Amino acid sequence: MSTASKLRDLIRSGIHRIGQIELLTEIGGFAYVLCHSLDAELVTEPAFGGLEVHEGPANARDLSTYAEDGTYRFTKGQTNLKRGWVMVLRNEEDLRLALDQFYPACLSLFLAQQAGTLEIETLRDKLNRQTGMYRFARSISDAGAQKLIQEVCGPAHQCAKKILWKIDPQTPLDDSEASRFNGIPGDLPESEAIPLICREACNHFVAECRKAAKAEFEAKAVAG
Amino acid sequence: MSIAAKPSSALLIVGHGSTENPDSSTPYFDHADEIRSRGIFAEVYCCFWKEEPSMREAWYQIDADEVYVVPDFISEGYFTQDVIPRELQLTSPTTQVRGKTFHYCLPVGVHRSMTDLIVKRAREVAPDVDPAQTTLIITGHGTGLNQNSTKAIRDQVDLIAATGTYAAVLDAYMEEQPFIAEWEQMSATPHVIVVPFFISDGLHSFQDIPVLLGIESEVGAAASQREVFRQNPHHLRGKTLYYTSAIGTERLLADVILDQVSDFDDLHKSLS
Repeated sequence: MSTASKLRDLIRSGIHRIGQIELLTEIGGFAYVLCHSLDAELVTEPAFGGLEVHEGPANARDLSTYAEDGTYRFTKGQTNLKRGWVMVLRNEEDLRLALDQFYPACLSLFLAQQAGTLEIETLRDKLNRQTGMYRFARSISDAGAQKLIQEVCGPAHQCAKKILWKIDPQTPLDDSEASRFNGIPGDLPESEAIPLICREACNHFVAECRKAAKAEFEAKAVAG
Repeated sequence: MSIAAKPSSALLIVGHGSTENPDSSTPYFDHADEIRSRGIFAEVYCCFWKEEPSMREAWYQIDADEVYVVPDFISEGYFTQDVIPRELQLTSPTTQVRGKTFHYCLPVGVHRSMTDLIVKRAREVAPDVDPAQTTLIITGHGTGLNQNSTKAIRDQVDLIAATGTYAAVLDAYMEEQPFIAEWEQMSATPHVIVVPFFISDGLHSFQDIPVLLGIESEVGAAASQREVFRQNPHHLRGKTLYYTSAIGTERLLADVILDQVSDFDDLHKSLS
């Protein structure tokens, strides 16, 4: 079965949210309608309540590149998706294209997790494969990495992804809001949303590891 | 070159991406949109080293059993020969990876059809300038780490120089000799056209090189955050300078991606 067909079945089973996007069906002659979850009530009003209408999936990347304040959303898991728009789509293939832009690969990662085929990558594996200036990131201590997760990840730091990785196969993450978060922003039951899954540390986290590793190195040099 | 439809195959375009520059990945998505609109492949995806989705996440997105991987990179080098094969677990031109067949094509930048794109770009930026009075400089990053990284540019220089159209055709780099910062010293003609051999108008071509050329005194904002694109020509250092946007922003690069798929089939499938 294609990913688009699986998506259709998920929606029929009661899924209506991914990240900050509300997923509605059969409105205004369109099979699927997407909007920011906080704009969902406007969508059912005449003329979509004055929301800016985008027909087809083509503008999904533009809508999700910058936050309202103009900052670059370097990871799409950030909880600063712009409001004020509605995207109308004719079929689940277009819906899938749109969701792949708003939340890259998240639908497929969720389906793989459900099917038991998702491979998780530890932080050490991710850091050890870095090149160039990011190579230094691998020297971060376990304690430094654990601290960084609590300073960078999770909804308190604008990321809505559910972390599945460990530091290494034997070292799980310390318990924190970030490590506990289930990938569903807002208070929705898990049966109603596709969680955003973090199967490998993002490149922003890698960049932060590099900074922390350098700070650790410099602190040791001063102490030594 | 026309390509036969591949209704059972997926195309995976691999780019570098950036966590800091939003324009870095735009050309890759443009190329994917263009190819998707032609309906040649069942599925078309982009994946990145420094952006989402990652190369390792892309495998999960693909429904098709056969996948053509085209590095949307300008040269063969560390990324195309080490990083991409490692990330996608490719060990030969065709590799079985967890039930899917991956075909690894050559990067776009080394294809012979890039020559036409460079010449087209140079003509467009300076339509009224006599090529016989003009030096064409193709510029890239350059690095001491991998000699292949400049080979694609040197090959293009040789091909365009052989046509005799321009007074001179030269290569120059940000971080190795000959340095692009010395463009006026290497150009004997009154007119100079500089074409950045990069995929995107990211940090290097839109922010760093203009400073090296002397067009700007300090690194400016990202391309998409400028209200007005730079105006050519620039009268600098006693010459008339034309600076184009990165070669990869050319929408026709989608054709080069397809050319690399065709070439892969010609070279490898005919043998099987």
